[in-house]
Amino acid sequence: MKSFLACLLAVLPAVSLAQGLQPQQLLQKEPTNTWPTYNGDYSGRRFSPLTQIQTGNVHRLALSWMYRVRIPSGPMRGVGEPDIKCTPLMVNGILYFTVPDHVFALDAHTGQKLWQYDWVDKGGHLVGNRGLGMYGDWLYFLAPDGWFISLEAKTGKERWRQKVADEKMQYFTTGAPMVVGHHVIVGVGGDAIDVPGYLEARDPVTGQLQWRWNSEPSKGEPGSETWPDENAMRHGGGMTWLPGTYDPELNLLYWGTGNANPVMAGQGRKGADLWTCSIVALNADSGKLVWYFQGSPHDTHDWDNTETPVLFDAKIDGKPRKLLAQAARNGYFFVLDRTNGESIVSKPYVPLNWSKGLDARGEPVPDPQKQPTVDGNLLTINGAGGTNWMPPSYSPQTELFYVNAFRGYSVTYLTDTSEHPEGYGGSIHTLWTQHVLEALDYKTGNVKWSHAYSTAMGTNGVGLGGPGVLTTGGGLLFSGDYFGNFIAFNSANGEILWHFSMLHSLGNGPETYTLDGRQYVVAGGGDTLYVFALNE
Amino acid sequence: MGTGRGKWVLVACFCLGTSAIAQDEAPAHTAASSGQQQEDSRAIRTREFLGLGRIPDAKMAAEGAKIFGPTCGFCHGADARGGSGPDLLRSSVVLDDNQGELIGQTVRNGRPAKGMPAFPSLSDEQLRDIAEYLHQQVELTANRGTYKLLNIVTGNPQAGEAYFNGEGKCNTCHSATGDLAHIGSKMKPPELQQAFLYPAAADRSSPPKVTVTLPDGSHLEGTLKHLDDFYVSLDDAQGNYHSIPLQKGVAVKVEDQLEFHRQMLDKYTNQQMHDLTAYLVTLK
Repeated sequence: MKSFLACLLAVLPAVSLAQGLQPQQLLQKEPTNTWPTYNGDYSGRRFSPLTQIQTGNVHRLALSWMYRVRIPSGPMRGVGEPDIKCTPLMVNGILYFTVPDHVFALDAHTGQKLWQYDWVDKGGHLVGNRGLGMYGDWLYFLAPDGWFISLEAKTGKERWRQKVADEKMQYFTTGAPMVVGHHVIVGVGGDAIDVPGYLEARDPVTGQLQWRWNSEPSKGEPGSETWPDENAMRHGGGMTWLPGTYDPELNLLYWGTGNANPVMAGQGRKGADLWTCSIVALNADSGKLVWYFQGSPHDTHDWDNTETPVLFDAKIDGKPRKLLAQAARNGYFFVLDRTNGESIVSKPYVPLNWSKGLDARGEPVPDPQKQPTVDGNLLTINGAGGTNWMPPSYSPQTELFYVNAFRGYSVTYLTDTSEHPEGYGGSIHTLWTQHVLEALDYKTGNVKWSHAYSTAMGTNGVGLGGPGVLTTGGGLLFSGDYFGNFIAFNSANGEILWHFSMLHSLGNGPETYTLDGRQYVVAGGGDTLYVFALNE
Repeated sequence: MGTGRGKWVLVACFCLGTSAIAQDEAPAHTAASSGQQQEDSRAIRTREFLGLGRIPDAKMAAEGAKIFGPTCGFCHGADARGGSGPDLLRSSVVLDDNQGELIGQTVRNGRPAKGMPAFPSLSDEQLRDIAEYLHQQVELTANRGTYKLLNIVTGNPQAGEAYFNGEGKCNTCHSATGDLAHIGSKMKPPELQQAFLYPAAADRSSPPKVTVTLPDGSHLEGTLKHLDDFYVSLDDAQGNYHSIPLQKGVAVKVEDQLEFHRQMLDKYTNQQMHDLTAYLVTLK
């Protein structure tokens, strides 16, 4: 904390922060008149204390305005129409949001466009973009081809760009840069040709590198014993593509790392493969690893452990604890002590059979009989895992953790049988899927209530898209189904109170804030942003 | 709004005359060629998504392979994945190269400092072919859309037949000489395996049937068009479309032909799955 404040004091005189987002504002818990980061605040809870819209009046919630994205280049390479997966920032009455290659600023009162920034990429994946970071009057954006770009928030003019990843090596960049003190934290993605993952802190003024944490240890360092050799370690993956969370008091960043590489063919990287598929706690000023918890040791199913590590303080056995909870893609719900990574709960939240149980650290033990095989290995769990990147939520009001989960089955194949496979080396075929919204008790991992969506119209082919969750002090939970309905639930019991039929299904994390005294709820579906408020 | 909404339930129907596998008559013998086209288009789509650039020229790559093996394979491995020399699939010279401009120069001049000899006698054309071969090797590794399953038929067909007619109860709805006759010729083994495990929505023989009971006790029956938490819609036998809000007192019953297939996913062992695959493949 001391160093964090020192950084703030050191930089404040140097930059003009008069109109933009003061870095101190990011320390605010549960902000109400702004949504200044991807998760709203550093905790990743996506809980707003606002009560203007509540269980008793949500039936009056109505569309205020909508905005449809228009991009100059036509259908986007490899993905088609733009799909909003970011959570917009709302600062001083302006909404800032993204789709891959494009940034938009809108008047939050009316949806009128103030400016648009268009990037022409030279590669990278256009699978999604999670949004922006903001520091003073500056915005930070990641273009898909590894460019870290700073824009003037007032005009959308580019200030500078820095290369943070090489798209020719199949890295891609989709994250929302995260401002922490005098750092902008930037993660990377990419697992087509076995490159190592890393996380960087960049200078908000210049974009220069401040520190880099590597997802794999160097030769001889602690953790290297979990790899067979240096070559495997240097090509081990562990991408950092989703924004993490931050505890200012502990000055720790919490970040999820992605799957190990080669993705499905693990025979060339026998061992746990640290620090892939893990939650890592890093000192925010140095990038040094403080502790780790590996959700999927020796993953062979493409189960990135990047899902948001959600931070909250609550009681365990009657004692107040600093907790971290994650609904991991491998189907486990983890609750840790975030001061030291000690396991409190590790429990499946969807049916699964890939694990033989837990080890002494509370980490699941993969069953060697359930790894991909040439002739197919039948698994109880969806091919995409138990969930994906879609933001979950924790409500201190209900003390429940909410996640949009997939129940399902899949069959996994090994396609590269060589001693040293490369690339994916296998494939997953999802057989059956059911989408279900689950409310989990953080103390036990038990499902307090759930809402399963109809499977009657067919269930195959779950893509990467999906609905996030927002909870509010009004006793509400906002999320969506896969039929285009944006839905308000009673967060205590899962009762449906309101819905709105959008043109596309909810594809981002909804958010809420007040503007001129009025509470708004914002949702993204496909290429359109929808903004709701109560009918007067 | 929103209180006391009707309930929908899925009802398993174990007596299906048709099934997902059975309904494959649609593009019967075109399966092989359309399967090939599907594979090609999957590879192209994935390549585009990954941003891998242009598609390597297969002819040039085949020529390049002939030169690469004896000339470069000794150090870099015949598949270019490395030996005493580096793995070229992960080399920036290869990944940054477009049409041989970087690879060609490196091969012609060598890298004496790193112990790689020069190959001054190779022609421009030969260097282009080598480059194309390397790009193709990258393609086959990095582009997962090009991956092909290996031999998945490892089970025992006799055991599979016994399972089909015994414990698996497949013969309750299916017949090796009826709906499944020649299925082994119509579908490739992986398609067959995945289809009997749980058919894709597009492969359903017919959409689910639905019965909606209205608050006054009357029924509507037909083909399900849509069902979510708020509305059910259907086409009745006369082809009339009905859309019914799921209010209090409305009950929806969907007869899901595939519920039995789903339940079996909790029961199959891998061995049973492989045996059944091996048996169905024999139904030529």
